[in-house]
Amino acid sequence: MTPWLYHMSTHRPNFFYHLHPPTIPRREGSFRYTFGLGGISVLLFLVLAVTGLLLTFFYVSTPDRAADSIQVITYQVPFGWLVRNLHYWAAQWMVIVVALHLLRVIFTGAYKAPRKTNYVIGTALLVGTWLLNFTGYVLRWDDGTHWALVVGTNLVKETPLIGSLLYQAIVGGTEVGAATTTRLYGWHLFGLTIPAFILMVWHGFKVRRDGGISHQQRVGDHAPRIDRGQLVKTETAAALIVLTALILIAIVLPAPLGPIADLPMLPSQTQAPWFFLWVQALLRSLPPVVAGVLIPIGLLALLISIPYLIDRRTSGVAVWFNQPGRVAQIVAITIFLGLIVLTIIEVGQ
Amino acid sequence: MDHRSIFAALALLLVSALAVIHQLNAPVARSITPTLTNKPELCLTCHDGIEEISPSHPIQSFGCVICHGGNALALDKNLAHAGMRGGKNPADFSVVETSCGGSQCHSGAAADHNDHIQRALTSIQGTYAGAITQVRRSFGAQADGVAHYGIYAIADDQVKSPKAVPSLDQFDPTTHADPQPVVNFYDNCLTCHLTVQPILQPYYYRSTGCTACHTPYDSDGLYHGSDPTIDKTKTGYPAQHRLTTRIPYTQCDTCHNRGNYSLKQMAFLPRLDLPTSGAPLPADRLRDYYQPIGQFTKCEWELDCIDCHTSTEAMGDGDLYSSKFDIQYIRCKTCHGTLTEPPQTATIIDPNDVELRRARLNGNYSLQVGDTVLLTERGEKLGAIKVVDGRFIQTLKVTGTQYEIPLVKGSACQQKPDQQASKYCHECHTYQR
Repeated sequence: MTPWLYHMSTHRPNFFYHLHPPTIPRREGSFRYTFGLGGISVLLFLVLAVTGLLLTFFYVSTPDRAADSIQVITYQVPFGWLVRNLHYWAAQWMVIVVALHLLRVIFTGAYKAPRKTNYVIGTALLVGTWLLNFTGYVLRWDDGTHWALVVGTNLVKETPLIGSLLYQAIVGGTEVGAATTTRLYGWHLFGLTIPAFILMVWHGFKVRRDGGISHQQRVGDHAPRIDRGQLVKTETAAALIVLTALILIAIVLPAPLGPIADLPMLPSQTQAPWFFLWVQALLRSLPPVVAGVLIPIGLLALLISIPYLIDRRTSGVAVWFNQPGRVAQIVAITIFLGLIVLTIIEVGQ
Repeated sequence: MDHRSIFAALALLLVSALAVIHQLNAPVARSITPTLTNKPELCLTCHDGIEEISPSHPIQSFGCVICHGGNALALDKNLAHAGMRGGKNPADFSVVETSCGGSQCHSGAAADHNDHIQRALTSIQGTYAGAITQVRRSFGAQADGVAHYGIYAIADDQVKSPKAVPSLDQFDPTTHADPQPVVNFYDNCLTCHLTVQPILQPYYYRSTGCTACHTPYDSDGLYHGSDPTIDKTKTGYPAQHRLTTRIPYTQCDTCHNRGNYSLKQMAFLPRLDLPTSGAPLPADRLRDYYQPIGQFTKCEWELDCIDCHTSTEAMGDGDLYSSKFDIQYIRCKTCHGTLTEPPQTATIIDPNDVELRRARLNGNYSLQVGDTVLLTERGEKLGAIKVVDGRFIQTLKVTGTQYEIPLVKGSACQQKPDQQASKYCHECHTYQR
């Protein structure tokens, strides 16, 4: 056997095997416990990185040519439509997958010590996901991005104390213009992606450092364990299935694309991107600073406070809907149901 | 590899093959980059074979988007067509200034004869002020014959003629308390001005705005050109994607020979004697085609309307008039002269004379500096009527057929010198259906 093949074999773990602990508990290592949500997030991140890189070859980040360049990608570049649709759908799935991942973590008490810090890193990644999705969506610069360009950027202004500073930092001036596209592109490519990548690696590292996947502690710790080879097999199958589904949806459902945004004209029907529809719903009845700034920050603070204020006990780890974490579970369910209900209301508007 | 991964890998291969098939089935973009915009357009990917709109608007220079708008780089029908000016018709008056205007195009200076949009917008055919004024006067809504209202509100900041009015308000009899017949007229009879959609029936099919006249329709309303995307069995399309100054009488007749307004009923009564199929118009225009109430003389059914009526008469001169009789002036004597005088003539000396441009655009007759042509009472040259060896030779603008115009002078005509209106000529020269 040549050394190369030897290293590719399971006898001497290759790089991907090496990312996993040699063995993990059977119960918590099963797909039925994690649903593979963290792993799927990593896969989606890789898909987004590769397709995103390909998109940069053709995307032009100026207001007058951005929408046109996406039309070029979609209709003229060979497989450009596939790359763009994959990028779009991977991004939408990412929002859903990381949200479900957060719910899984809360419902199984995985946020409890010693995983408090990693929980906060996870919520930071959640915020990063939303901001990446938002900036990516605005880069389309078509008429579907009007809400973001006009309402969304103005919401930033409502932030207490630093509002106008933040607004200028994001749009690159006193009004949305040529600098805005470059800024958002810079944020999307580097300002958000690189921190998100670092946080993701740290997040994974911390899983190992905090004692592996959160699992039930037993006396003497004699819980049955599985070999990482078995885990990698499951991950491979899951990854292949997700990729298959992603390509299929990318073929069947094209990412939205409209004519170039006609700024500063606001079309009569303007809608936020789907993951911010709940903000738009709140804006109908609440002042902008409350709906667009205080409530989102408040919800985030509430989520982060779970291991620090709401449930500081360490019992109930890896038990679905464990008793000590009941309040935290109710808080999470209330937040998510609230967002879903507001989104549905706004869709019906 | 376990069996789950093998199945998943096979599924992945399968969808990847689907993606390749999808790519292979994608249309191959056909791109042009018109010199006037210098931006690529993919419209011809689908509209492959469509006629060039006119020799004056070559596709290499104009492309499609400069007139039509839309999204030139999209190959999805909905996105490509999103934001197109005036839908299918960029020459509709609602968008004409953006599509056809500009100082280098059709909203240039009157002195250069490039003020087409201003003229058309102020013309009687556009404002419909003549009919509105007559109906309002007939039913007591106004005492004089001066126009106050048009189909749309419009102002003219350079009034030249003493007969012209400076502005018109938008006609809406419900807001200015006009008598009921005027309201009925408003409701039932405004089917013929340039901004209104036509009656969607054979012989009425036409466009709106400039193309109401300059893009002829066939009587069946079917497209007979080579754009593969246009359904050849669907009505409501021009005969071809073409702008022309060779406007056949059939195009004028989509409004002018289609029925009558009944003052009693205040309704438009369409003709009942036309074939319902939209079959091509009969060869014998007089017998089968002209409305059975009017008097027509030979030139009125052998020539096309534009052979006598000038661009100024049809499109106006930029002033707002109260009646077509303020702008329409061509009479029999314009071309036939009187007992004592032949028609007036003028020799073209200016190389920029608009008649030279009109001849070039028409293509059926040629004209050059030094040619002598017929001159109307208002000083307009009729370039298609040339004086050759003392004879007046008219080339028909649509067909290219040539006629020698018979003159009154030296004929047996017994007209009285002060009776030059057509009704006097019609006393002898009339064919009635």
